[in-house]
Amino acid sequence: MHTEASSRPWPGLTCLLLAILVAGLGMHQLMALGDGPLISGLVEALNALRNPLYGNPDHLLLRYSWWPRLAMSLLAGAALALAGVVMQQVLRNPLAAPTTLGVASGANLALLGATLLAPGLLAMGREWVAMAGGAGSVALVFALTWRGGFTPLRVVLAGLVVNLYLGALAVILLLFHQEALKGLLIWGAGSLTQNGWHDVSFLAPRLVLGIGMAVWLLRPLAVLELDDASVKSLGISLKRLRLAGLGLAVFLTACVVSVVGVIGFIGLAAPNIVRLAGARRLGARLLWSTLLGALLLAATDLVLQGASPALSTLVPTGATTAALGAPLLLWLIPRLRLASVPHAAQSHVVSRHPAPHRLIRGLSLALLVAVGLALFSGQTVDGWHVSADWQVLEWRLPRLIAAGASGVMLALAGAMIQRLSANPMASPELLGISGGSAMALMGAIFLLPAPGNLTLVACGTLGALASLAVLITLNHRHGLAPERLLLTGVAITALFDAVRAIVLAGGDPRGQQVLAWLSGSTYYVDLPSAALVMALAMLLALASIPFCRWLDILPLGAASASALGVRVGRARLALLGLVALLTAAATLVVGPLSFVGLLAPHMARLAGLQRAHWHLIGAALIGALLMILADWLGRQLLFPDEVPAGLVASLIGGGYFMWSLRRG
Amino acid sequence: MTETSRMTSARAQYANAIPRRRLVGWVLLLILGSLLALPAHAAPRLATLDWTLAETLVAIGAPPVAAGQVDSYHAWVGEPRLPKQTADLGLRTQPNLERLAALAPDRILISPMFANLSPRLSRIAPVSNMALYQPGDDTWQRLQTLTREVGELAGRDAAAEALINDTQDHLARLRRRLPEEMSPLVIVQFMDERHVRVFGAGGLYQAVLEQLGIDNAWQGDANAWGFALVGFEALARQEGRLVVVEPFPAGVRQRLAESTLWQHQPSVRAGTSLTLPPVWSFGALPSAQRFAEELVTALEETVDAH
Repeated sequence: MHTEASSRPWPGLTCLLLAILVAGLGMHQLMALGDGPLISGLVEALNALRNPLYGNPDHLLLRYSWWPRLAMSLLAGAALALAGVVMQQVLRNPLAAPTTLGVASGANLALLGATLLAPGLLAMGREWVAMAGGAGSVALVFALTWRGGFTPLRVVLAGLVVNLYLGALAVILLLFHQEALKGLLIWGAGSLTQNGWHDVSFLAPRLVLGIGMAVWLLRPLAVLELDDASVKSLGISLKRLRLAGLGLAVFLTACVVSVVGVIGFIGLAAPNIVRLAGARRLGARLLWSTLLGALLLAATDLVLQGASPALSTLVPTGATTAALGAPLLLWLIPRLRLASVPHAAQSHVVSRHPAPHRLIRGLSLALLVAVGLALFSGQTVDGWHVSADWQVLEWRLPRLIAAGASGVMLALAGAMIQRLSANPMASPELLGISGGSAMALMGAIFLLPAPGNLTLVACGTLGALASLAVLITLNHRHGLAPERLLLTGVAITALFDAVRAIVLAGGDPRGQQVLAWLSGSTYYVDLPSAALVMALAMLLALASIPFCRWLDILPLGAASASALGVRVGRARLALLGLVALLTAAATLVVGPLSFVGLLAPHMARLAGLQRAHWHLIGAALIGALLMILADWLGRQLLFPDEVPAGLVASLIGGGYFMWSLRRG
Repeated sequence: MTETSRMTSARAQYANAIPRRRLVGWVLLLILGSLLALPAHAAPRLATLDWTLAETLVAIGAPPVAAGQVDSYHAWVGEPRLPKQTADLGLRTQPNLERLAALAPDRILISPMFANLSPRLSRIAPVSNMALYQPGDDTWQRLQTLTREVGELAGRDAAAEALINDTQDHLARLRRRLPEEMSPLVIVQFMDERHVRVFGAGGLYQAVLEQLGIDNAWQGDANAWGFALVGFEALARQEGRLVVVEPFPAGVRQRLAESTLWQHQPSVRAGTSLTLPPVWSFGALPSAQRFAEELVTALEETVDAH
């Protein structure tokens, strides 16, 4: 069966077609340069490459900009795709991407920090700062998962949380130092613009080294398709193998990221496309993915270069690849034959709490204390004050309510989607509903003159509904299978990330407003809307009670669930609808980047709440607690500056999460 | 009641009466005086989120009681400096409302960028939304209108008029210092070693160039704020004298020194490129004056050198 699949010609054919496309696009651009027929343009371009005439600006551009850019796009695409295959193989997760372990966010944070604190380091070489940052974040992920022997589940979770943590720190820096950091927003969107061969000569030998390592690791890595017990019975050290594989992927990614910035999609999509085209064995997937990745990036970049005179601003290739890739991924998903990967049961990670109701009581108490703290204490112009004046409470109360309510909603949505999909990476943010809503908000901020809050909320709701429609339409035929849903969500989220990166890279001052909206703030809530949000949260929380039985059964898998008399398709649709409502309502208040929906359910689970109703209650309480504390802390930490609650929640929750990963 | 006691009470009444009458007089005088003095003394206390408005307010002698991101204002706008008394409201996009409410300003000035805040801000004080850098506007006209509007709100119409006239005179003087025939300029600011902002139609720099009678060599598109973000290679064939506005991001100077493409940029190769100290590129009249001054000085220095 395997041989039959891998003997299909599709991967090669796909690459050939793309190669022809790249060649055609390249020729077209060269023809525009040399004003004669096709051949003279090509000859001219090659002449420029070999011995350029320095007096001729065309030659200079070809020699120092066009050719290095083409080379760079091929190299970077190849490296990312190769890293993607290895990462997906080691982590046994088709959603894993080269940036899953936090390389890009580590590099990004290092660059931001160096720009603000030690610009001298950047003068010595930007790529080294980025490399060190990427290596640092991956070292953190490894340290967190060392004891667990790098089991895929733990590595993915640790990577996710490190990504969130560093990402939140980066957004805080961006919020407060937008002017100083505007150049790095271009880097973050992955621009392939070159002005010399410096970066190509940095990347090329490293890619060769990476390919060598991949070939060397090919056979041991192929064994990872078996389950853990079989691998061990072959006498292979799983831990060392995983470390080597991840190390290779991370090395390649860090090299690319450090020279051209964040390039999305290629590392995620190329391996999936190749698999879809029929390449099954690891060797074939490595080969074709690497080629496909190189060609995909080159083709996108050439198209963009061709279109750039018509665009009024620079559109970075990395983000554009992601933006163009997302619809492709959406189109592919219904066609993707997903092997149902046996999910590592999560329940054995933590033992069940002996007396859940006592835990819940403790959490409720903590919540009350937090409410009191957040409502009555705070800083003013002349120091700390405890006050119960309405003039002060008038500003605090709506934020408190909104923070708590949105925390509850996101946590409930997260707990449900994680149980529904039995995937720990699942979160309402990853379903793409937040992303859709946020894209609509960005559109409103940029396209409408001076939009008011009501307009923004209306646009956000429309965006959320649109992504929900996409989710259901694309997945209806497959009975809303959770893996597909998540993949769809990842595609929508990737599109959102890309649009955000493009928007911010342009350097428009309104980007600051976009950042502030997106970073999860309760700032914009007034009392009536806070009351509305709270009512909505209570209503939806009540509505989720009847679903507890399904939520207990569905994690067992579709087969067991239907054996127990659950109509899986219908249950999924109902739960998904509820999750969507919860997410949309919360996103409109705190923006799409809060990650409470990811963290709170995990924290509840780590605390030992396993049964669905305890899990939901615990997650809701933790969500509210996290958001209220975060909102209060965010207002005090950098007074009078306010750090958005969503970011602080990511930092608190992420810190706790890392600590318990390390411990557990 | 005895005669003496009646007398003392009458005297007491009389004694009281004089100060009371005098008091009324004082109060009347005070009211009259304050009415007369109102335009000059009881200037409204204004708060603003926008730096361009803050710079205008300082320039017309009505510094805001509160502004957003005061430290960053000083780092990026620089001159004119905000006085020490100006309170920091924190992020411009999310000013600290508790603090702003405690300061109780008479009016809050915002630009359309912050329009979504106005329902909340207007619970603290009336909000005025002042447009600047709108697509399709003539920037120079708009800058003057804005200055007048701000002057009116601050009760300093005369100072605003003076700022406008002063700027016009200053730029006219600077223009006379320049030779008749000026070669066109390309004004850029480096974002990193591969990307620059080129300033074109709709921006502050372009408006100043027009006032100085200098052509902008960049005829490409620009966004509503008057700049385009382009890769550096877009300048490789660009005619016109290159004017780089500082600051250079860290490490960029070193990289440029090694870059063949930069060495062969027409203006760099001809040795005519200029570097100017930083000026807030989205500023108002004070920034315009400063940019004009820096530019003309730099142009003169190179003329002398040749």
